[in-house]
Amino acid sequence: MAGTVIGEGLSIEGDVTSDEEVVVQGNLRGKLTSTDAVSIGPSSVVQADITGQSVSIAGQVVGDITAPERVDIQAGGRLVGDVKAARFTIADGASFKGAVDMEV
Amino acid sequence: MSQSSVIGAGTIVRGNVEGEGSLEIFGRVEGDVSMGGEVMLGEGGAVRGNVSGEKISVHGAVLGDLLATHAVLLERGAKVVGDLSAPRIGIANGALVRGTVRTEGEPALAAPNKRAATAAVFKPSAFAAKPVAKAEPKLVPPAEPVEEDEGEDEDEDEDEDYDYDQQREAAVMPPARPKEKEPERRPPPPVLPSLGKGAKAKKKKHRD
Amino acid sequence: MARPSFDISVLGPSTRVTGRLTGAGSLRVEGSVRGDIQISGDAEIAEGGSVEGNVTADALEIAGTLLGDVVSGGPVAIRSGAVVRGELRGSEISIEPGSRVSARLVADFELDLGPLPPIAAAKRR
Repeated sequence: MAGTVIGEGLSIEGDVTSDEEVVVQGNLRGKLTSTDAVSIGPSSVVQADITGQSVSIAGQVVGDITAPERVDIQAGGRLVGDVKAARFTIADGASFKGAVDMEV
Repeated sequence: MSQSSVIGAGTIVRGNVEGEGSLEIFGRVEGDVSMGGEVMLGEGGAVRGNVSGEKISVHGAVLGDLLATHAVLLERGAKVVGDLSAPRIGIANGALVRGTVRTEGEPALAAPNKRAATAAVFKPSAFAAKPVAKAEPKLVPPAEPVEEDEGEDEDEDEDEDYDYDQQREAAVMPPARPKEKEPERRPPPPVLPSLGKGAKAKKKKHRD
Repeated sequence: MARPSFDISVLGPSTRVTGRLTGAGSLRVEGSVRGDIQISGDAEIAEGGSVEGNVTADALEIAGTLLGDVVSGGPVAIRSGAVVRGELRGSEISIEPGSRVSARLVADFELDLGPLPPIAAAKRR
């Protein structure tokens, strides 16, 4: 149901913008911006700032995350970067390093 | 009233071939082919010139442009150096092509050969390896119309200082024609276009 | 990304990518890509999709717009409604009516029609 799926074998180097849900299972280096939900899968390696309505991270991300609604780092996920969101969760087993701003 | 004609494997036509019906070519044509119907170039066949027809299927070699009102199909084994223009184009696995391909999405190009006038039907008997001009020496601009690019054909033809009427009267191939006039563009009708092997291809690339 | 993948990636209609796409798996572009695509799977530019850049893939189907060169290890199918400009290289190429194609086909080969037997009194040539 996601409008855009970047599959496991795909790597993108550059900017991605979208109005739809974006699911990333591959690699991304650059920038990702969506007005809808963004989900980074467990196999992903991302080096990019990510902006989405909500952002869920189960893979590896280096970059700043901005989401009006929420940011969740799943177990196994790893984020190095700053987070700006109204809600933020870090699951047991997740890694995180960065600054957090929950002011909406 | 489509008639079918055949240029057999042992036949060489030096000059243009034109007609309303369909044509199968198993031999060699050094000149343009312009038919109202289907043109089929067999595996051992070769054309050094432009080919236009309703549908053109190629199994042999063509050094020239292909222009069809319906489709151009290059089958395995075909070798074409020239431009393709038709609403539908198919290039099968094993076909070799070098040139531009154009289709502007408009299906009904004017039938390439409207030149009924001079009944330029080639007569097989006249061609038994003789250089005799075929019935119709007249210069037949391969195809009208099609895309603006194809229009080039006509333009070029117009440009030549070739007097069609005069030639028509002569009913003989004008050997003296300074052919080299446009060595790279299509071989001007009647005379043999002596193109260098890659000349046309090179030129075509530039054209695009 | 060591794992080979045969997933299908989809760039939805509102997704725009500026940059390069590479990798394994198939790709369907419904949005727009400005940059080169190089994948080891099948690529499809859906109706409404557009790619401005070169595409290298195992097979390519174009119903949208492609401005760039194509190198396909397999077939290239250009559907009605497609707009294609660039160079096409593929094992077989089909172009449907209703498409707008202005492209160069490049294949490296020699075309030698062979000599013509001499004609008595041939003046031309």
